[in-house]
Amino acid sequence: MSDTHCPYCSLQCAMRVTAARGRLSIEARPEHPVSEGGLCRKGWTAGALRGHRERLTSPLVRSPVTGELRTASWDEALELVAMRLAALQAEFGADAVAVFGGGGLTNEKAYQLGRFARVALRTSQIDYNGRWCMSSAASASNQVLGIDRGLPFPLVDIERTDVLVLVGSNLVETMPPAARHLDRLRANGGRVVVLDPRRTPTAERADLLLQPVPGTDLAVALGVLHLLDARGAVDEEYVASRTSGWDDVRRAAAAWWPERVERVSGVAVSELEALVDLLASAPRVTVLTARGAEQHAQGTATVIGWIDVALALGMPGRPHAGYGCLTGQGNGQGGREHGQKADQLPGYRAIDDPAARAHVAAVWGVDPDALPGPGRSAYELLEALGTDAGPKALLVHGSNIAVSAPRASQVAERLAALDLLVVCDLVLSETAAMADVVLPVTQWAEETGTVTNLEGRVLLRRRAVAPPAGVRSDLDVLAALAERLGCAVPFSTEPEEVFAELGRASAGGRADYSGITYDRIEAEDGVFWPCPATSPGDAPHPGSPRLFGTTFPTADGRARFLVPEFRGAAEQPDDDYPLHLTTGRVLAQYQSGAQTRRIAELPDDGPFVELHPLLADRCGVRDGAPVVVRTRRGELTAPARVVPSIRPDTIFVPFHWVGANRLTNDALDPSSRMPEFKVCAAAIGRGRRGA
Amino acid sequence: MWVALHRGMPATARPEDDARRRLVVVGSGMAATRLVEELVARDAQRHLAITVLGDEPVAPYNRILLSAVLAGTHRREALVLRDAAWFARNDVDLRVGARVLGVDRGHRDVMLVDGTLVPYDLLVLATGSIPTLPPIRGLVRMDGSLHEAVHAFRSLADCERLLAAVDDAGRAVVVGGGLLGLQVARALGLRGITTEVVEGADHLLHRQLDTAAGRVLARDLARLGVAVYTGARAVRLSDAAPASIGGALRVPDPLPERPGRAALRLDNGHVLDTDLVVLTAGGRPATALARGAGLQVRRGVVVDERLASVSDPDIHAIGDCAQYGERIPGLVPPAWEQAGVLARVLCGEAARYDGSRVVARLRATDLDVAVLGEPASEIERGGEVVEVSNPIARSHRRLVVREGRIVAATLVGDLSRVGLITQAFDRGTVLAPDEPGRLLLPEHAVADADLRGGAVAALPDEAEVCACAGVSAGRVRSCASLDDARETTRATTGCGGCTPTVRALLASRPALATSPKGA
Repeated sequence: MSDTHCPYCSLQCAMRVTAARGRLSIEARPEHPVSEGGLCRKGWTAGALRGHRERLTSPLVRSPVTGELRTASWDEALELVAMRLAALQAEFGADAVAVFGGGGLTNEKAYQLGRFARVALRTSQIDYNGRWCMSSAASASNQVLGIDRGLPFPLVDIERTDVLVLVGSNLVETMPPAARHLDRLRANGGRVVVLDPRRTPTAERADLLLQPVPGTDLAVALGVLHLLDARGAVDEEYVASRTSGWDDVRRAAAAWWPERVERVSGVAVSELEALVDLLASAPRVTVLTARGAEQHAQGTATVIGWIDVALALGMPGRPHAGYGCLTGQGNGQGGREHGQKADQLPGYRAIDDPAARAHVAAVWGVDPDALPGPGRSAYELLEALGTDAGPKALLVHGSNIAVSAPRASQVAERLAALDLLVVCDLVLSETAAMADVVLPVTQWAEETGTVTNLEGRVLLRRRAVAPPAGVRSDLDVLAALAERLGCAVPFSTEPEEVFAELGRASAGGRADYSGITYDRIEAEDGVFWPCPATSPGDAPHPGSPRLFGTTFPTADGRARFLVPEFRGAAEQPDDDYPLHLTTGRVLAQYQSGAQTRRIAELPDDGPFVELHPLLADRCGVRDGAPVVVRTRRGELTAPARVVPSIRPDTIFVPFHWVGANRLTNDALDPSSRMPEFKVCAAAIGRGRRGA
Repeated sequence: MWVALHRGMPATARPEDDARRRLVVVGSGMAATRLVEELVARDAQRHLAITVLGDEPVAPYNRILLSAVLAGTHRREALVLRDAAWFARNDVDLRVGARVLGVDRGHRDVMLVDGTLVPYDLLVLATGSIPTLPPIRGLVRMDGSLHEAVHAFRSLADCERLLAAVDDAGRAVVVGGGLLGLQVARALGLRGITTEVVEGADHLLHRQLDTAAGRVLARDLARLGVAVYTGARAVRLSDAAPASIGGALRVPDPLPERPGRAALRLDNGHVLDTDLVVLTAGGRPATALARGAGLQVRRGVVVDERLASVSDPDIHAIGDCAQYGERIPGLVPPAWEQAGVLARVLCGEAARYDGSRVVARLRATDLDVAVLGEPASEIERGGEVVEVSNPIARSHRRLVVREGRIVAATLVGDLSRVGLITQAFDRGTVLAPDEPGRLLLPEHAVADADLRGGAVAALPDEAEVCACAGVSAGRVRSCASLDDARETTRATTGCGGCTPTVRALLASRPALATSPKGA
């Protein structure tokens, strides 16, 4: 019996896992503050992959003769990988090998992956799927607030706010146990506002729903700023004492009068005024963004616009108020702090900062000058694969790129163009199925490690059961490859050792973990970073549940208002593609579905196309009938789900299955390099049955 | 002040090595400011030395919010679009209070009233419009000044002067029942001033609305306490005369102890006592500079699809002083579209202007009017009308549809689908034949309560009621209590949204002799 946390989303509900006769049974942990005994069906059924017939228990190697994957010994597989990597690097240079990580990896694995890339492979070419998660919020928070911790307060704080604004979040379906906070907030007399082009189950629990045209959340934020200033509802004292740059934002917002916002966003003047009425009169306002606001080519600007709203109201740093991002993946927060990002070193350090390089190189026992510089961002990395100037080999850990990348057909082509694709996974995901070598790795209950949830709270997952024979942890894989590649520095395979090293590497960085230990995490139900180590004899640092109380971690201690310029979606509807397509999740599935689609207890009806009755009638589509969705990049046929809860000019397709991301646009945010998953132009028509 | 006394003395010395072309923008209103923003966004200062000459003495501000400032719903300080520091930071020479006297195309310079010469390589006229003075006797005094009760409403200075006057005013008459007139009338009403509107046409907003819609609007205004005189022209303004004037019909004054300072006589015989007369009877393009420079001017400065004067390719005109085809923008969005196109033209892009889709929106508290495109002319061009009118509920909505597209619309009194209709209009979405009609009908109320009470009892056993744990109605029915359901099925333990339904399911079971567990 071991205490751990759910393998899926960023809430990281606490669970207790017991192994008996090869099966895992799961209980909730009512005493843990993160979830208070809540779990959703994904968590309850997470044990079902243990002993699943599709679970990989042996390395697979693609036979050059038949072109099929065949089982191989670990030695054979590792030797093959090491030999090919070395050969490709010898011929094309260190950057010929790329590494792709994931926001589901534990802190230890994410850290070790970054270290492996920089030290063992000496490649700059490492990035991860978190670019497709909350990177726009990360970029905006860093620029405006000086730090990127998804929530700068415990999630429970929202229960005591007066108005909660959820911009592009469907948390009731995507992290159901978090919904209890909404209910308690409303029981306390608070109001909930939701911005979403769909009236989601989250919106059903809101006091006010605005349904903007996909890609126009920023225009709404500018309209809010306009009206707040017009009414004199800006907290001038806070703005003067704790921020800089407001005047430029005020001037920019002067050009966003409500009727203009209405025309751009489809949000009626009366609705915008209703929102501002709520905000202007509330002592405490909390604004939370999620993927709906962030997964845009203007995602960073959009988040900046909403942080500006929170700042204008004087909220960040005030109890039970402020701005936060609801991170998506299980370790989406920790995964972005410890070096699997192209431009980063552990502790949220910048890889082009000489002091950061010197510190980390000392911990790693290497020469700072030997560390590579910044590499390509996730999508740009994938686009470069197999090209003359790009990497020739790719190692993938904890990501199912073939399903989750935008413009997936193109990405599949790039993967196919590689000389060597190595995938570490539990099951033969769509990406693993394309690999030259597949290495079977542990799942969450079979390994110990830490994750940092959406609150910046570092949590511990204890191993509950030994891995099946033939399965190794990613730490083992990295250590073995490093050794075979002749790397001079050792790679630990003990999670607690790796965590301690991570702590030392992060010391002094923005995400300082050096004062956190496994024992403290268990004793304190998680520790919030930053938590620097203290000198022996001094009291330990208590961790930082709440940030910004007196100052912002910027050079001058002030939050920096920035002017977001609204440009709109990269691809606008036209006569050929007259609709907006947006994508998202359903309750019973998770991300690319590699795990959840294989769990029989979770309903898997495949993708569907959600559309409004007006649109369905326009196209002659009945509920349940097949619909073809076309974009400039691809097409998908799926059954129609005709609902009045979506905008009539917008269709929605969930992304857990192959296909949705063949449609999506690969236009990137200039700052976060986030692709525009959440809006593109599309056309629909009646599909053929069985197509 | 330094004054250039002879030609050939440019006001500012220009570095010898500045090879940039000199762009001079005359005007600092909405169109001009937008043009400069668009140029700055394109980093055009690299190849253009930009000078902006604004005749108002203040930094560019958002003119369309003036009526909201008058109403007290928008702070005066929140009007400024770009301050002097922004222009300086972006290497744009903004000169406020710089009134242009003339354009010399031969010398390629403009002269300010103080004699300063500003040379140009490229000139943009964004001079806007000038309020029209209606032919009312007594409006202008013998010395040429306006009667002290009379106010124009175009500039910030006008707005401030009117604001200064409202405190002492009890009554106001707004001359002109167009968009601006109604906004001003409503604003004055919100200030507690008894306000009347005089409109020469037979209904309000006659350029945008038909008679029926105009009547609905007049009724709405009356409800808000604003009296409307349509089909009536003001003909004479005189100082207040407490006694009756020549036996004319007098509108009873509700404040007899405080008669207005002026009396405005209408051509229908009414005489309106008032403290303020606000002129909002439209404007005409400010074309004096263009005419003086010999450019072709009809109503406005005639421009081509590059927004260049048809007489001089180096002189452009945008906004309310420019005429493209038969159109003059009259509203901000088309002027901004012109500014966007012109910025691209000035940066050497192959942009061209091809007219604008216009959405006119009345900005006045509790008055809901949106006019998309030009309904009357679209009907003349064969557009079909789909209309829902309910004068009793004070709503009148009309869509003009051609080839499945909404090409124009009038929405008065009920803007419930305005966002969606505007999107369909702007994007030219092809709709199904019954769609325009359905857009005007109320949305079907979604029965969100149908899972409560009786409807819950009728749920089939296989219906899923808890999505978080995947629990069917039948499984809940088999439980003894809510606690039992939580324990055995985990229903309600995820997001908690199904709790009411689970309670209702448990309560709606046929009564059993004993509890299932006790049996």
